[in-house]
Parts: sequence; C-alpha cells; structure tokens
Amino acid sequence: MATTTHPGTPMKLSERIEPFLAIIGPMVMILAILLFMGVAEPARYFRLSNLNLILLDAALYMPMAMAMTFVITQRGIDLSIGSIAALSSIVMAFLIKQYGFSTPIAIAFALMLGALFGLINGLVITKFKVPDLIGTLAMDLVYRGLALVIAKGLVLARFPDLMTDIGRGQIPGFIPVPVVIGLLTMALGYWLLKKTYFGRYTVAIGSNPEAAEMTGIAVDRYKIYAYVLMGASAALAGVMLTGKLNAIQATSAPYFNLHVIAAVVVGGTSLFGGRASMLGSLAGVLLLSMMINALVTLRIEFFWQSVASGVVIVSSVALYTWLQKKDRDGAKGFVAGLTTPESLRLLRLCGLIGGGLLLLLLIGSLLSGAPVASG
Amino acid sequence: MSSDNKDAEPLVVMRNISKRFGGVQALSQVNLDAYAGEVLAIVGDNGAGKSTLIKILTGVYQPTEGEIFVGGEKLVMNSHSDAIDQGIDAVYQTLALADHLDPAANMFLGNELTRSFLGIPTLDNKKMRTETERVLFERLGVRLRSLDVPTASLSGGQRQAVAIARAVYHEGLRVLVMDEPTAALGPQETARTLKLIKTLKEQGLVVILISHSLDDVFEVADRVHVQRRGKCAGVVKVADSSQQDVLGLIVGAEEAA
Repeated sequence: MATTTHPGTPMKLSERIEPFLAIIGPMVMILAILLFMGVAEPARYFRLSNLNLILLDAALYMPMAMAMTFVITQRGIDLSIGSIAALSSIVMAFLIKQYGFSTPIAIAFALMLGALFGLINGLVITKFKVPDLIGTLAMDLVYRGLALVIAKGLVLARFPDLMTDIGRGQIPGFIPVPVVIGLLTMALGYWLLKKTYFGRYTVAIGSNPEAAEMTGIAVDRYKIYAYVLMGASAALAGVMLTGKLNAIQATSAPYFNLHVIAAVVVGGTSLFGGRASMLGSLAGVLLLSMMINALVTLRIEFFWQSVASGVVIVSSVALYTWLQKKDRDGAKGFVAGLTTPESLRLLRLCGLIGGGLLLLLLIGSLLSGAPVASG
Repeated sequence: MSSDNKDAEPLVVMRNISKRFGGVQALSQVNLDAYAGEVLAIVGDNGAGKSTLIKILTGVYQPTEGEIFVGGEKLVMNSHSDAIDQGIDAVYQTLALADHLDPAANMFLGNELTRSFLGIPTLDNKKMRTETERVLFERLGVRLRSLDVPTASLSGGQRQAVAIARAVYHEGLRVLVMDEPTAALGPQETARTLKLIKTLKEQGLVVILISHSLDDVFEVADRVHVQRRGKCAGVVKVADSSQQDVLGLIVGAEEAA
C-alpha cells in the first residue's frame, strides 16, 4: 500500500499558542490588575480579608460560569439566569419560612426548580423555535414577574445555619465553603466537557451544527441538557446568594446575566460557538471579581461597575475575533484601512454626529438661562 | 479484480428505480450495477438525478418504485442509519467535520468509544486517538503530523482522509459513496484524494464517485454511469471510451444526431 505522509507546514507560533490563548488573555489582565493595585492601593487590596472577599464574590459566579460555558459553546445564550436564581430562592425561602420545610429539602427543591426552568427555556428554544436571545429574555420577564408576584416587596431574611454556611461559611484555616462549592462545580464542568458525550457533542454542535445533525447526534436534546444544567446552576447560585446575604427578595441578582456572560467570554469561550475553555471561565470569574473589588477599593462609585463589565465584554470579544482572523492579506494596517472610501464615509458620519452634539451644546449654552431645580 | 471479470456478480444492484417528488419525476426506471473493487463514477448535468440516485442508495430517500440488492440480498432502508448498518456510507462534499474538535473526536463523532468510570460511560479519548492513527495509516496510508490539533488546521486532503476514515472504520463497510470529493481542492490535494480512492478500491470496496470533473473520473474510475434527465443515458468503460464520448452522453449529442 502506498504511504502518503502529508507534509504539513511547520506549526506557526500563532497555532502553537492558540490552545493557551484562553488562559493567557485573562491571566494578563489579572496580572495587570495586581500590578496596578500593587501600586495604587497595596495595603487595602492585598489584605487577607479582602482576598477572602474576592473569593467569596467569585464563588457565587462559578457554577453559572461553568454552565454558561456549555450554553455559549453551543452557540446559545441564556439571559434568564438572574431571574431563575431569584425565583428559585424565593420559593425555597417561602418553603422554609412559611411551610416549615427542612432546609436540605428546600434547597434540593430549589435546584430542581431551577432545572425545570432551564428545561422550559430549552423547550422554548428547540421545540417552539424561538431564537435563544428573545426566548430567554422573554422567559426572564416571566420568572422575574413570578418572583414579584410571590414575594411582593417582601425581604425574606434569617435562615437556618445550613443556609448561611453554604453562603458564607468558613472552613477553619482554609477557604470559605462557597469557594469549595464553586470550585467543585468548575471541576465537574471540566470533566463533563472533556470526558462525556455531553461535552463532546456540545463542542460539535457549536462547531458545525449540520455535521452534528448528520452524524446522528440528537442536537435538540443536548441543547436542552445545557439549559437544564444552566437553570440548576443559576438556582445553586441563588441558594448561595441567599446564604451569603441571609436574605432574599424578588429583585435580587439583577446583574447575573451579563456578569456571567462577560466572565465566560473573557475566558476565551467563543460566542460564535465550538471553542470552550472551562479554565478560562474560572479565570474570567476571578478577573471580574478582582476588577469589581478593585473599583470598590479605589472608592469608585458602584454604578461604574456596570460600565466596566460592558467594556470588558466588548473589548474581549473584539480582541479574540481579531486574534482569530486567519487572513490579514490586503489589510495594510490600521491607518491604510481608514483611507478606503467606505471608511471615509463612516468617518464623515462620526464627524457629523460628534459635530452635531458639540453644536447643540454650544447653542444651548449660549441661549441658556438660570438653572432650574428639578421637581 | 474490477469489472473486467464479467462472471462476477455485481455487489450493488439497483433495479428500475423511480422517484417522484410531487409532480416532478426525478428518476425513471434507472438501473445501476456496481462491482466490488471498482470505482463507478456517476456523471451528469445538474438535475440529471445523480444526487437523488445516491440518496436512495444511502437510505436518505426511499424510491417510489424499484428495488435495491446488495450482495444478493434485497434491502429496504428507511433512513441513512439503516444504510450504514448494511455497510453503505457516504462522504459528502462538506465532509461533516466539526472544525474545533481534533481528528480523533471527528472520526468517532456520534460513535464514541467509551469506558466505564464508576458505572458512568466516559469518553476513552486515548483509545480513540490510537484507533484514529491506526485506521488513517493502515487503511488510507495517511500519517498526520499531530493528532492534537483542531481539524480546522488540517489541509483539505487530510480533512478528506479523516472523513473517509470515519466511514471505513465501520467493519462491515461495503459501499462508499463520495459526493464531489475534489470540488473544493487544489491540484495537489486532488491528486492525494484520487490516490485515497484507489487505495479504497484495492481494498475491495465499491466506490461510487460523483464528480463534475471528467479528468478526475478518467483518472480513477473503472466505469462511468451517465445520468441524463432522470434516466440512465449509458454506462461506459473508461478503458475503451474517451471523454468526448461521455460528454456526448451527458449533453445528449447522440440523441440529437
């Protein structure tokens, strides 16, 4: 038999570092934060109690980031996780406070309920063919609305010790209990991704949905699995949040969605599907918690956190897309790219909008009278 | 060992195959024979019924009329997986590869090897890797530089080899349909793919090749089945006909003359 050893081109540097890209990105940013804080506020940032705070905050997001890694790798998205967390824990809180359920049973019920909500999301997307973005956004309204219907404006507080142990307990001389839970879920995620049909098919579905279908993979079923895992993980995060605050209300956990998506995307999991990195997601969660903690340590207003999360998402997706671009022929560089006719038209549009704003400010300030107090 | 042996029974026999899609007669009364150890090319214009014919053979479509025999046994196939069970598989032009997965994962996609871990089936990545290496080398004579890369980084011919390896890994494979395997390849990769086809033929498979390139067909095929307007316009031996003859059958020159 003839032997044809296909002579491939030697591995390029970009190919060789590609598998590690997911880790390098967040690691560089984590180092940058460490360096910056080391200069700006070393005493308060690197205090042991503060590092503990960072870990406690990160732990909350680890289960969700793990599950979201699967959802996003399948080219999906879930925008309902904050509401699933809130609704599951509201129900759990009522079961404990009003119906005298034992805490372990109530917690297990909350996790199953989260799985049920995930199942509903999955069915809405795969069977009713509602696009995931709209489907989960609409279900977010449903779950949040139900939470408000059940809890009204109530804050349910003061839970048994087991609950607070899960949320903020400390293993003496070691790390907090929620961090252990978070890391265990990440480890479970890593195992699922590398060693099970679910993980393998998740990558295949995201990489090439038609091929997955043609090789006989039950694409819809594996998508539903991912949403069920997502729902249960969101409920777990809800339980951990309830324990951490020792209180829960219907409007809790409003920022879960984008925070988790940001962590996963920063970690190198591709929004375009097929590329998953569980370690990257863990690094992404740590990065976001460190960043937000740094903002707090620097006494920057709370509302800037939302700005920071958004900027992180956009810049990391743009960066990964740019790094992934195989073919840069014909692009002579940034400046040359700006002088094409199409770019000039866009530049003119930018100028027009910017100039318009400046003009209006100028006219407004020239014609302005005395300030009027609002209200 | 090819069709020179006239006494040999054809392995694949399709008799009086017709297929209607609503009011459209895609195929009418088509006969096709293919022998073990031969490459049978199917050529014809767009809409001549090539794809319909092989989709019937691979179980994707069910014929409106007609019968299929493989190895003398009459087959009724209701799905593509029925066909795979009967040893009939296809490699499509798109190859159906998940580019982010490594070659081993792709070769076993949908058919993974597992071992039990605490009673839970887990993927046996190591075994799948050694099996991939073995099948690629022993059956196709292909050795990849590394099995540890995403399939996206392989060349066109190597990707083709992985897709073929997936089909030939099935021990009972008797018939392999290849749909436009060289359409997206450069000259070098085309040559390698044609070599792979010859290798498969030497292993006694029926290779059914659908191609628009008569150069490729005359390079690798033993016989050519020409489809024209849903009917078989003729079957010629490559050895005693020219590309002009086949072209004439494709466009129906004889009919017009």
